[in-house]
Amino acid sequence: MPRSLWSGSLSFGLVNVPVALFSAARDTDVHFHQLHEPDGARIEVRRFCSKEDEEVAFEDIGHAYELDGGKTVVLTDAELAAVAPERTRTIEISSFVETASIDPILYDHPYWLLPTGESAGTKRAYRLLVEAMGSTDRVALGRFVLRTKEYLVAVRVRDGLLSLTTMVFPDEIRATKGIDTGARKPAKESLSQAVKLIEALGADFDPGKYKDEYTKRLKKVIKDKEKGGTIDVPEPDDEPAPAPDLLEALRASMAEIRKQR
Amino acid sequence: MAPRSLWNGTIAFGAVAVPVKLYSAVESKTVHFHEVHLKDGARIEHRPFCSKEGKEVDKDDVVRGFEVRSGTYVVLEKEEIDAAGGTRSRIIDVEAFVPLDQIDPIFYAKSYFLGARDEGADAFRLLHDALAETGRAAIGRFTFHKREYVVAIRAYDKVLALHTMRFADELVGRKDLDAPRAGAKPKPKERSLAEKLVESLSEDFRPGRLHDEYREAVLGAIRKKARSGKDIELPEEDEREEDGSDDLSAVLEASLA
Repeated sequence: MPRSLWSGSLSFGLVNVPVALFSAARDTDVHFHQLHEPDGARIEVRRFCSKEDEEVAFEDIGHAYELDGGKTVVLTDAELAAVAPERTRTIEISSFVETASIDPILYDHPYWLLPTGESAGTKRAYRLLVEAMGSTDRVALGRFVLRTKEYLVAVRVRDGLLSLTTMVFPDEIRATKGIDTGARKPAKESLSQAVKLIEALGADFDPGKYKDEYTKRLKKVIKDKEKGGTIDVPEPDDEPAPAPDLLEALRASMAEIRKQR
Repeated sequence: MAPRSLWNGTIAFGAVAVPVKLYSAVESKTVHFHEVHLKDGARIEHRPFCSKEGKEVDKDDVVRGFEVRSGTYVVLEKEEIDAAGGTRSRIIDVEAFVPLDQIDPIFYAKSYFLGARDEGADAFRLLHDALAETGRAAIGRFTFHKREYVVAIRAYDKVLALHTMRFADELVGRKDLDAPRAGAKPKPKERSLAEKLVESLSEDFRPGRLHDEYREAVLGAIRKKARSGKDIELPEEDEREEDGSDDLSAVLEASLA
C-alpha cells in the first residue's frame, strides 16, 4: 500500500468528505546516488550562507523573490503558508464539465482519492459521490494547494474510486504560433493514400504491450559494468531522408504491407 | 518570433519519413524563489559533503553510482549511462496508429509540440491531416536527452502534440490500494439530490477563465510586503472542521438551496 501524500477534505456543495491522496503512478526509473569517488561514500548536500560561509539550519532559510525593479522580498515558510490556508486543507469542487471538452495536454499527474477514517457517514458520502459522478460523462473541476503550489484538478470515477489528476493552468500551455505547420493542403489522392496507410498500420491501444526498453538496457549496462566489462557507446543511426515523391512513398509502403500479409 | 526548438528528428513509418522539430508545450508559471539566509538575506549555497569524512568535497570528485546491494555501488560515467539511449536518437519509429479515444489520458506524462522542418514540409502537413481525419495517434519510440520514451503523437491545432507515455506497470491500480470497504448504498433520494447538484454545477469548460489564483495571491503578498516593509500576518490556528452531519439528504438539500 503506497503512503498517502496529503489528507484533507473533498467538498461538494455543503458535503465534506474526508479523503487522503495517493499517487496513481509509481516511479520505476533507475536512480543514481552521488558518491565521493576516493572513498565511495555517499554525498550529502549541506546548505551554507554564501556571506558567512557557515552552515545554515532549515528553519533559518527564507524564500527570496526578486521584483522587476531588482528589489528582493523575503518570505518565510509560515508567510507562504498563510497566503491561502484554506486551500491547503480542502479540495473544493467548483464545477462539472464534459470530459471530452478538456484537452489532455492539460493533465499532469494522476492520483487516487480514498475516504479516510472509519466513519460510516464518510464512506456513505464517498460512495454517493462516486455514484452521482459515475452516472454522467462529466469530470469535477476543483483546486487545492499541495506543497506551496496551487493545482487545478480534475476528479472523475475510475474503477469505482475517485481519481484526481492535477492539471496545468491553461495559460501555461504555449501558443503554437510561430511553429512551422508545413506546406499547402495535401492533394486528395495523397491524403486518401495516407489515411489508407494509417489504417493499415492501425491497432487497438494495448498499454501492456509497450515495455520500458530503456530501463532494461540501463540495467544491463549497470550489470555489465559491475562485472568489469567496458560499455560501448553506440553511434546514432542516420535519419531517413524524406522521399522526393511523397505519393510514391505512400504507395510503396502500402505495397510492402500487402506483400507481408 | 519563432519559438526555439529542443530537438530535430524524423518520424518514420513504412517508406515515409517526416522531418520534425520538437518544441516545449508547457511553460510553468509557478512563482520561483531563491533560498536565502533569513538573518542576512545572503544566498544559500548547496555544498557536497562526504558522509564518511564529514568534509566538503571537490565537485570533480563526485560520481554517480547505482546501489546494486545495500551499501554496494556500481559507478557509471555519464557516457556509459548515455549508452542505454540506443541508436535511434534522431528517429521516431512508429509502431502503430491507435484510436485516440482508446488512450486514457492517465498514460500521458509530458507534452511537447512538433512542427515541420523546411525539408519535407509536405510530409508533415500530410501526416497532420491524415491523423486528424482518422482520429488516430501514432505510437512510437522517441529518444530525448539520451533517454527513450514511448510516445503518442496526435494532431493538435495545426501542429502535432507529442506526449511521453507512462508504462502500464507504472500505474497504481485499484488492487494496489488498500481501499476501505464500500459504504452503504445511497438512498434513492440522496442519489437524485446528488445528481441534481452535479447538474446545477455543470457548465462548459472555459479554459481562459481558469487562472492560478494562488500564484496571483503569492505575487500579491510579495508586492504588499515590498511596499509596506511589514511581515505578512499569520492566521490563528483553527480547528479542522469535522463533518458531523449524518443526514446527507439535508446537507444536499441545503447545497441546492
